[in-house]
Amino acid sequence: MPALLPKVGMRQPKLRYSRAAIAGFLGIGVLLHLLPFYYIISTSLKPGAEVVRNPPTFIPSAITFDAWKLVLRIGDESQIVQLVKEPFWVYFANSAFITVIAVGIGLPVTALAAYANSKLQSGRGARVSFLFFIGTMMVPFVVTLVPMYLLTLNFPFTMPDAPMIPGTDTEFPTLRLWDTPWAVILPAIFVPFNFLLFKGFFDTIPNSVINAARVDGGSELNIFRRIVMPMAVPVFAVTAYMSFGSVWDNFLWQLVTLQSPEKVTMSVATYQLIERLSTAGSTGGGAAAQAEGMGDLLNSGLTWNGMMVLAILQSIPIFIAFLVCREYLLRGIKIRGLK
Amino acid sequence: MRIRIADVTKQYVREGSLRTAADEPPALDHISLDIADGETVSVVGPSGCGKSTLLRLVAGLETADSGTVYYDEHDVADVPPQSRGIGMVFQDYALYPTMKGAGNLKYYFDVHRRTEEESRARAKEIADIMGVGFELLLGQQTTTLSGGEQQRVAIARCVVRDPTLFLMDEPIVNLDAKLRESTRMEMAKLLKRYGVTTMFVTHDQQEAVFMGDRIALLRAGRVVQVGSFDELYYSPANLFVASFFGSRPLTVLPATVADRAVHAGEVSWPLPAGLADRLAPGPVRVGVRPEAWRVAGAEPGQGAPMAVDRIESVPAERLTLAHGTVAGARATVVVPAGTTAEGLRLVPDWDAAAFFGADDEVALHTPGPPDFF
Repeated sequence: MPALLPKVGMRQPKLRYSRAAIAGFLGIGVLLHLLPFYYIISTSLKPGAEVVRNPPTFIPSAITFDAWKLVLRIGDESQIVQLVKEPFWVYFANSAFITVIAVGIGLPVTALAAYANSKLQSGRGARVSFLFFIGTMMVPFVVTLVPMYLLTLNFPFTMPDAPMIPGTDTEFPTLRLWDTPWAVILPAIFVPFNFLLFKGFFDTIPNSVINAARVDGGSELNIFRRIVMPMAVPVFAVTAYMSFGSVWDNFLWQLVTLQSPEKVTMSVATYQLIERLSTAGSTGGGAAAQAEGMGDLLNSGLTWNGMMVLAILQSIPIFIAFLVCREYLLRGIKIRGLK
Repeated sequence: MRIRIADVTKQYVREGSLRTAADEPPALDHISLDIADGETVSVVGPSGCGKSTLLRLVAGLETADSGTVYYDEHDVADVPPQSRGIGMVFQDYALYPTMKGAGNLKYYFDVHRRTEEESRARAKEIADIMGVGFELLLGQQTTTLSGGEQQRVAIARCVVRDPTLFLMDEPIVNLDAKLRESTRMEMAKLLKRYGVTTMFVTHDQQEAVFMGDRIALLRAGRVVQVGSFDELYYSPANLFVASFFGSRPLTVLPATVADRAVHAGEVSWPLPAGLADRLAPGPVRVGVRPEAWRVAGAEPGQGAPMAVDRIESVPAERLTLAHGTVAGARATVVVPAGTTAEGLRLVPDWDAAAFFGADDEVALHTPGPPDFF
């Protein structure tokens, strides 16, 4: 904050007032951002019946950990209403696996691509590949959604069924990525926006530093590892945090590609739970049956308070990622004026 | 190690340009240069003449479009810069910003899988050579060092590996004048001590003269002249060389040689016999250095009148300079102390004047080094 609220000239009344105004304004902003979190946490601690009460209560009348207990036993067969097939930690582990692998492979790949584009290519080649990579940012995700889905069915063909090898009655061998974690991981490896960030940073490294390292005898990879990477730590932090968040929080693509109950991720599982919750009982038809289904759910303790527990659990990794990258993120924001 | 650059041409295609390579002026245009073992050659020239490109090409950081670079008798076209065994100092020092001074020196030993002890011993050795306080610099983050300190670390990094060839790309141009002077001395000492073949690129003629055994003057990607300072100063190959050297501008008089005399504007000077025999009649350009003017007597017919703008005295060099116009050309002239602007008449010292073609810049006659050397 020192840049925003400098100590200089604080004896000027006008500056004092404006500083107070800025602080107040920021304070309101902070409160507005914290309010949903408070509501999530307080709701997760409310008893089931209080959650659906109208008007909603701001302070829980009683604090109970029923919802937390329930969520941790969510896939249990002994439940009256079995909402989802697997225990909660399976979804959490799926999400964690996909995110860690996608970021772990994706960052080096993207960084190396940007480095090669910035320092090893030159002239027209560099321009064309840069535009090609950046061009992929121009296509909205919804446009590529269906082709990408088809691609995962019979990789590398964009068709629902693999084509026949001409002259025979056997199909081309294809790779079925659909309903495997790789269907989520592979498209998340190269992130054009991260490429842009990396490239922007590598462009600021003087060529002479790279040349000096070459003269010193460093191979290109060694130069990247020993000279360039330590310089790029803030950029790595920013990109790591952002791609971690985007993969972990991604919903639509994961919903499309992951179907088996044991492969579903947190975000999809949460969605499925909400769906069950809002349609439970309606399948039997009739108000009585619906009310009964609702009653079952309430009895089992899972209403929105359970959702809130899931929401908290889903936010925790992002929060941890932020804490880990915090120091560098702030520096990165200062350096590059990000976000 | 002997370096031979044979007929090297290099052309850049500007990014985003639709022009073909053929339209672009080449960065290096058929350059040939021979550097003897242990010799220091200063490569000098105005900005954009290709001198840095030439250096990078010798280092292997650029590839030539045609022509060959030989290290001793080996064509090094296929040798990457990593394995050429050279040491290079860059204009912006190019220190590794995330490493301390010592780390900068150590990187070479790391990538060559040398032992820790060897690297430390070499660093110690270099620190002794580099003089007082150098070891303190090694313990500091390079980004916190001043320009001069960074430059010393950069030179140490270049020296620490015992290179077979030093390449220096305007290494001291970013320092202030005082520091430049002392660093220049230090570097000259280092070069002498190691006796390593050196290419020293600079745009500063004084530096080039000071550092180089020989000087190669480049212009628009071509070597104009190679030689000692005396050769370049007293026997310039053309008008460009003549006007490039010298701390004060050369006066260039458009004139005509006829009837064993030089006619410039309204004045004419009779030529000495020897010179008159050598010069063919016709239009020429006469190059006269500031110190090669003689003040003529007051009687008319002798010497050209100078329209003086300003008399400047340079106490440090015990000089008095007159700036003005002689026979229609801008001139700076060294005059005796106490000279007044009124009625100053000048005659070129014909033993020190050079004659160049009127259309091309080729030298027709150059004075050569004076006898007293």
